Amino acid sequence: MAAVAHVPSTTPLERTFAVTSWHARSYRRTWRATITTAFLNPIFFLLSVGVLLGQLIDDDRAQLGGLSYVEFVAPGLLAATAMQMGANDAMWPVMAGIKWLRTYHAVLATPVRVGELVIGTMGWSGVRVLSAAAIFTAVAAIGGAIPSALAVLAPFAALLTGLALNAPITAFSASLEGGDDGWYPALNRFALIPMFLFAGTFFPVSQLPDWLEPAAWATPLWHGVELCRMLTTGDLDVLALVHVGYLLAFVVVGTILAVRLHRRALLK
Amino acid sequence: MSSAADSPLIEAHDLTKRFGDFTAVDSVDFSVRAGETFGFLGPNGAGKTSTMRMISAVSPVSGGTLRVLGRDPATHGPEIKARMGVVPQQDTLDFELTVYENILVYGNYFGLAKDVIAARANELLEFVQLSERRDSKVEPLSGGMKRRLTIARALVNEPELLLLDEPTTGLDPQARHVLWDRLYRLKQQGVTQVLTTHYMDEAEQLCDRLVVMDQAKIVAEGSPRQLIDRYVQREVVELRFAGTPSVDGQLEGLGERVEVLADRILIGTDDGDGTAHAVHERGVPVESVLVRRSTLEDVFLTLTGRTLVD
Repeated sequence: MAAVAHVPSTTPLERTFAVTSWHARSYRRTWRATITTAFLNPIFFLLSVGVLLGQLIDDDRAQLGGLSYVEFVAPGLLAATAMQMGANDAMWPVMAGIKWLRTYHAVLATPVRVGELVIGTMGWSGVRVLSAAAIFTAVAAIGGAIPSALAVLAPFAALLTGLALNAPITAFSASLEGGDDGWYPALNRFALIPMFLFAGTFFPVSQLPDWLEPAAWATPLWHGVELCRMLTTGDLDVLALVHVGYLLAFVVVGTILAVRLHRRALLK
Repeated sequence: MSSAADSPLIEAHDLTKRFGDFTAVDSVDFSVRAGETFGFLGPNGAGKTSTMRMISAVSPVSGGTLRVLGRDPATHGPEIKARMGVVPQQDTLDFELTVYENILVYGNYFGLAKDVIAARANELLEFVQLSERRDSKVEPLSGGMKRRLTIARALVNEPELLLLDEPTTGLDPQARHVLWDRLYRLKQQGVTQVLTTHYMDEAEQLCDRLVVMDQAKIVAEGSPRQLIDRYVQREVVELRFAGTPSVDGQLEGLGERVEVLADRILIGTDDGDGTAHAVHERGVPVESVLVRRSTLEDVFLTLTGRTLVD
C-alpha cells in the first residue's frame, strides 16, 4: 500500500494567496504606523500644494493644458504615493524576511515555492497600493480635483506604478547578500526623492532644461504620472499604451529578477 | 508486504555539499528508517546544518544522491515538504502575530482547511504546554517557549518526518528537559525524527542511532551504546589538578587510554575504581579524582582527538 497522503495538495495560486494573506494578517498589527504615509500625507500634500499653493499660480492655465493646478497635481501625487508605497514595501520588509527575522525561510520549509513567496508578497504590496490609491482618488474627486469619470481606472494605473517600483527593488533587496540596508537611504535620496520632485508630479517636465527632459521620460514615475493624469483629466490618447508597456516591462523584468535573486539568497 | 514500509525514509549516498571551494559535506552515506530518532552529532562547522538543509529540500546537493520519503528533493521539493516538519536552528516565528496565528498562517501553506488548522493548533498548543499563551504575542515568550512554538508549528501538517536542527541550543537545563520530554512523546506516536546536536547528553537521551560528523565527514555510526562499546572503555577516571596537569610518566600503564587536556586528564579504563586507587597509590598530585561512565563525549574525543567546543 502506498503511504497515506493526509496533506491535501495545493495549487500555485492557493499557495501564492496564502502568502498574501499572511502579510495581510501581519499588517493588522502595524497598520496604524503606516496610515499616515499611505493615506494622510498625500491628502495633506494635495491640500497644501494643490489647493493653497495652487491658488497663487492658477492664473496661467494654458501652461497646464487648461487644468487648474489642483487638477494637475492630484494625479501626480497619486502616482508618487503609489511609487513610494511600492518602493518601501520592497525594502526593509523584504530584508527582514530574508535576513533579520528569517520569516521567508519558514515559508520555504512548506510546499510554497520561491516564486509563490515573491509574487504573493508583491501581491500584498499591490493590495495596499490599490486601496490607498482608491481612497486618495475618492477624496480628490470629492474635493473637486478630478474632472473625468475615467478616474475610476486611475487607481489601477497607480497600482501598475507601485508594482513597477516594487518588483525591481524587491530584486535589489534580495541581491544585498550581507543584509546591507545602508543602500536604502541612498536609494531614497538619489532615486525616489528626485523622481518625486522632478518627474512630472508638480510641473510638466517640459519645464525642465531640454537636456534633462529625456531623463525624466526614462523614469517609471513619469510614465505613471502621465498615465494617471490622462485618466483623471480624461485627456486619454494612444500614448497611454506606451506608458502601460513601459511600466509593465519594469514589473515583468523586476519580478523575474526578484524570483531569481530570492532563489539565490534563500536556497543555498 | 515489502518496499514502502521497509525502505528508509531518508537515504544518502556520497552526499556532498560545496560552497565555492569549501566542502561543507564530503561524500557521506547514511539512511534513516521509519520510526527511529536519528542524530547528527558533531561540533559547529562539522557539516550538520548543511546536511539538514539538503534533507529539507532548501539546499541543492552538489554531488551524490539523496532520497527523502522516496523522492528526489531537487525535483519533488514541495511534495516532500508537504509531509515533513522543520524546526530550524534559528527561530523564524512571525513577531507581528500571536502564538495561535503563527500556527494558523503556517497551516495555510499546506492548504489545510481553517477548521482543521484551528483544531490542530489548539491540540498542538496543549501538547507543547502553550495553551495559556495562545493569544499572546511571540516576542515576550522565553527561548524555551519560542522553541516549543516552533515545534508545534512544524507539526501542523502531521508530518511523517520531523527535522530538528539543534533543538535545545541556548536553552536552560529545565527548558531542555521539557523539550526532550515532548520529543520523546512524539517518538512514541511514531514520528520519525532527525536531529543535529553538539550536546552529547542530548544525543544519548534522544537518539536510537546516530552518526558522528567531523570536518564534513562521518567518522562513526551506531547506537549511543554501540559507539561507546566500540570506541571507548567502560569507564573514565577524570583527574583534575591545581594548575596545569603535569604527571611525568606517573600514569604509565594505567588504564587503556590517556587523554591529556588543557584542564584535566582522562583515563579510559574498564575498572574505574581500581585505576583511581592506583592513581592515589602512585602519589599523583591531583586535586580531585572522579570515576564516571564513558559517554559519547569520550567517543568523540577518541575519534577526533578534540573536545566538542561550543
